Amino acid sequence: MAFRSLRRYSWGLLFLIPEIVIFLVFLWIPIVKGIGYSFYKVDFVSGNTFVGLRNFREVLANPDLPTAVKNTLVYMFWALVIGFWIPIAMAVSVSELKRFQGPARIVGYLPSIIPAIVLYGMWQWFYDPVGPINTFLNSVGLPEFDFYSKGHAVFSLIIMETWQNFGSAALIYVAGLASIPKDLYEAAELDGAGVWARIRYVTLPGIKNLVLLLLVLQLIATSQAFQSQMLMFGGGPDNATLTYLLLMTREAFVYFDFGRASALATLMFLFLAAISILTLKLRRGDDPA
Amino acid sequence: MKPPRDRAIMSPHDFRKTGVKIAYGFMVIGVCLISLSMLYPFVNTFLNSLKSTEEFFAFPPPFFPSRWLWQNYKDSLDYLDIFLYFKNTLYIYAGNALVSLTFMGLAAYSLAHLKVPAKKWISLYFMSTLMIPAASYLIPNFLNLKDLGLLNTFWAFWLPAGANAFYLLILINFFEGIHKEMLESARIDGASEFRCVLSIAVPLSVPIIVTLLLLGFSTVWNDFYWSSLVLKTEKLPIGAAIYTMIIYPGSTINWNVRFAILTMTLVPPAVLFLFFQKYIIGGLSLGAVKG
Repeated sequence: MAFRSLRRYSWGLLFLIPEIVIFLVFLWIPIVKGIGYSFYKVDFVSGNTFVGLRNFREVLANPDLPTAVKNTLVYMFWALVIGFWIPIAMAVSVSELKRFQGPARIVGYLPSIIPAIVLYGMWQWFYDPVGPINTFLNSVGLPEFDFYSKGHAVFSLIIMETWQNFGSAALIYVAGLASIPKDLYEAAELDGAGVWARIRYVTLPGIKNLVLLLLVLQLIATSQAFQSQMLMFGGGPDNATLTYLLLMTREAFVYFDFGRASALATLMFLFLAAISILTLKLRRGDDPA
Repeated sequence: MKPPRDRAIMSPHDFRKTGVKIAYGFMVIGVCLISLSMLYPFVNTFLNSLKSTEEFFAFPPPFFPSRWLWQNYKDSLDYLDIFLYFKNTLYIYAGNALVSLTFMGLAAYSLAHLKVPAKKWISLYFMSTLMIPAASYLIPNFLNLKDLGLLNTFWAFWLPAGANAFYLLILINFFEGIHKEMLESARIDGASEFRCVLSIAVPLSVPIIVTLLLLGFSTVWNDFYWSSLVLKTEKLPIGAAIYTMIIYPGSTINWNVRFAILTMTLVPPAVLFLFFQKYIIGGLSLGAVKG
């Protein structure tokens, strides 16, 4: 009996087992081990020793932690305020264009093909004290703008990232806008709704789900940001761009304290898990469907 | 006569109002300005790569170089053996594509069309990894590769490339669209499941496979941080090589040489984009449809 059911499933299992093993070895084991490491002092030479909650205590006592948390939240906030609405406005504008819609879409997407490292190289020059932006400001008689100063660094980053990413988000919105039935606009217009009213009551509700989805995706992505902070500013000046993840990677690959780094990762994991459980609960309470 | 254009938010009737006309004008100007700001960095990067160092710091800096200095490209090879790193990148990419498509393809086919015990649980086993933030296993992943003895080998990229729940999900969705009858009749004709995958599922999924190949390419071409941790200098892919040797904070390498390297790095993805635009833009909506 067992043999026959095994035969029945043999192809299905044969095809699945390699992938199950890959997921186990390269995802699940690291995920579980990561939580384990946060209770150990990781030492490559003399082996790991269990230290209980010491890593957590040290991490929480680190004066850089509040800075990193604050910086991450500030970055997430401004990325929303500055960057989030632009693709929506752009998508609406592009779908209204009477011609050249195709080229506008392609041009908007172009920055997304730039590899991260090339992007940083380009923008290091744009933001340079003698780079094109400051030369332009000088030539029209304005004072130089220090993109690298403590107060400006976050905004410099967000402008760069918005420039790169908004095209692909805009294309997703364009697809969403195209799926809104045209009769709705027709009907709204007959009822006397002006252009703004049509955008407010037809267009935006029509892409509501997409907006929410991209909002969540952006929050997830910005909460884990560290690469551009590291490369453009090295976390500085004066820790102004030190994000939570940058702190974590520093612990691991600069100070080689993998235990403390794992403790930071575990804390973040717990925090994000709590948030997603909370949103799930709220959503369930929200709509009965 | 041309058929009337499909209306959008604004109808022809609206355009009789001056206010709407003016607003539309501003909108068009806005789109044009944004498009220019999208193109400028590309043109600027290319032209900068041909300038002399003096021109770089001249005031005001010329937009076009006075003489096109292709020498910069030659000089850049002294700093970075770009062909070696291109080769490494392609090598990593080829292995990634092979491993990930083979194993994910088989698994996706199995979940979509074969009898498997506890299918729901197996799907959950794969898909729940989507909910776990990648950042939380960055460090243990590194330690895990170290324990497995895979540091500084290309296997450290090839094998984990197969552990991508998002691509797996896309493949499963696509395979589910293949009609069961087609597979059924192939089976009656005596085809094994392997044959079914190779001769029916794969040919029918060429568009999605191309999209995944392109996504995979940009992942490899983009990555610089992770590979700089895992690999040693001579094995680095292009992004990590530039990161460790050219564009680290505080680098003093001449700007024109830097831009020559950046331009060369930009060419392959740009060419791919021009040829496979349709697939790349199609791939974007895959991400959105998921939710």
